[in-house]
Amino acid sequence: MQLLSREGCADGVKCALYEHAVSQDKKVSLQISASTRDDRAELADCVLRIASEKCRSSFAHIFEYFAPRLKSYLMRLGSEPSQAEETVQEVMLNVWRKAEQYDPKQASVSTWIFRIARNRHIDAHRRRDKPELDPDDPMLQPTPEEQPDVQLDRLQIEENVRKQLAKLPEEQLVLLRAAFYEGLSHSEIAKAYDLPLGTVKSRIRLAFQRLRPNFESEH
Amino acid sequence: MLDNRRPAFGEIYSAYAAGCLDPAFMLLVETQAALRPEIARALAKGDAITGVFLETEDSAALADDALSKALDAIDDFEETQSVQRAAARRAGTAIDELLALPQPLRDTVLETCADRSWQKLTNGVQRLSLNIESAAEVELYRIEPDQTVPRHSHRGNEYTLVVAGGFSDKSGHFGPGDLAVNGPQHTHQPTGDSDGVCFALAVRDDGLEFTGVLGAVQRILGR
Repeated sequence: MQLLSREGCADGVKCALYEHAVSQDKKVSLQISASTRDDRAELADCVLRIASEKCRSSFAHIFEYFAPRLKSYLMRLGSEPSQAEETVQEVMLNVWRKAEQYDPKQASVSTWIFRIARNRHIDAHRRRDKPELDPDDPMLQPTPEEQPDVQLDRLQIEENVRKQLAKLPEEQLVLLRAAFYEGLSHSEIAKAYDLPLGTVKSRIRLAFQRLRPNFESEH
Repeated sequence: MLDNRRPAFGEIYSAYAAGCLDPAFMLLVETQAALRPEIARALAKGDAITGVFLETEDSAALADDALSKALDAIDDFEETQSVQRAAARRAGTAIDELLALPQPLRDTVLETCADRSWQKLTNGVQRLSLNIESAAEVELYRIEPDQTVPRHSHRGNEYTLVVAGGFSDKSGHFGPGDLAVNGPQHTHQPTGDSDGVCFALAVRDDGLEFTGVLGAVQRILGR
């Protein structure tokens, strides 16, 4: 059984991934060019306006920011341009549908949309031929469930991750991207970057551990 | 300072973040995160990483009419939504108990209930086989107070996550968030706690070969 399920995930896809990883990351240096706080606030407002007013111009703004990035991401994973574009359309429709669920206190729009893209990726993989009940329907929404004792401040976690990612050495950054964003397993990364498996594991572990607040003060 | 309740890092978080984890295990880990904050924190960190890399992503040009196509799709969606609401209303009766399940399990269960019924194993034990596109079998058990799941064994491993309530078997008591792992050599006969209905999510890999990431699943989820 294959526990890592990547859509259409033949070896061809993985090979494309390897080539990509090797060609991109060995030549070009990877730098985090994330959004500013203002950009993020504007994107969040757009999603909130989609939810409250079904605002099409806000949707257009979100589309213009994310659709080209999502297409590039899907092609990075080995999709053909036309397939990538189709998936982008599905993801963007889901952004419209799920806008009411977006909570700016829980995540940035980028994180939220990536999660939709990721799920779309899986849905395409397990598409069913039956009429689907939409579990997001307001009729099915319960009163909020009890929260765990410790409340997570996801936005704070995200801020910490942003801050610390910008400080990571490139050798760790590249591996985090390969693992978390491109979805390569540790052994695939070892092969793609021509590193010993143990090095891959320890660099990723180190990098992941650094993504918490005040990392420096603990050392 | 090392805290032994902080999960060790493994591939499961990156596979999860990237959407590469098998859907059965994705459901399992998300359900557990809903019950255990330290798992939720690790998943949130992984999610945050993906958001930053999406922002850093290159731009690939889209077809000229891509935006107008998207707006057309939205129009279609808005039109058909009223039909879907009617279906949801029909399927949405008598489900209070299921609505209390943590996400994302709740959505999966509701979706499954729309086209499949619970299977009655004994008077107090029911089982719902979930719609998960996975080679592993995924089932939700509903165990009434003091009722015992019929004795069973399996060819592979069985991972049982207590979602609500609790049960005991000969290896001990399991409460919400606890994961029981039973190998093929174990015969397993859990009994629900006396003080309420127990829901347990079981993932079974009968005879299937899991490697790599599953080891991480066991290390991180197992206690």
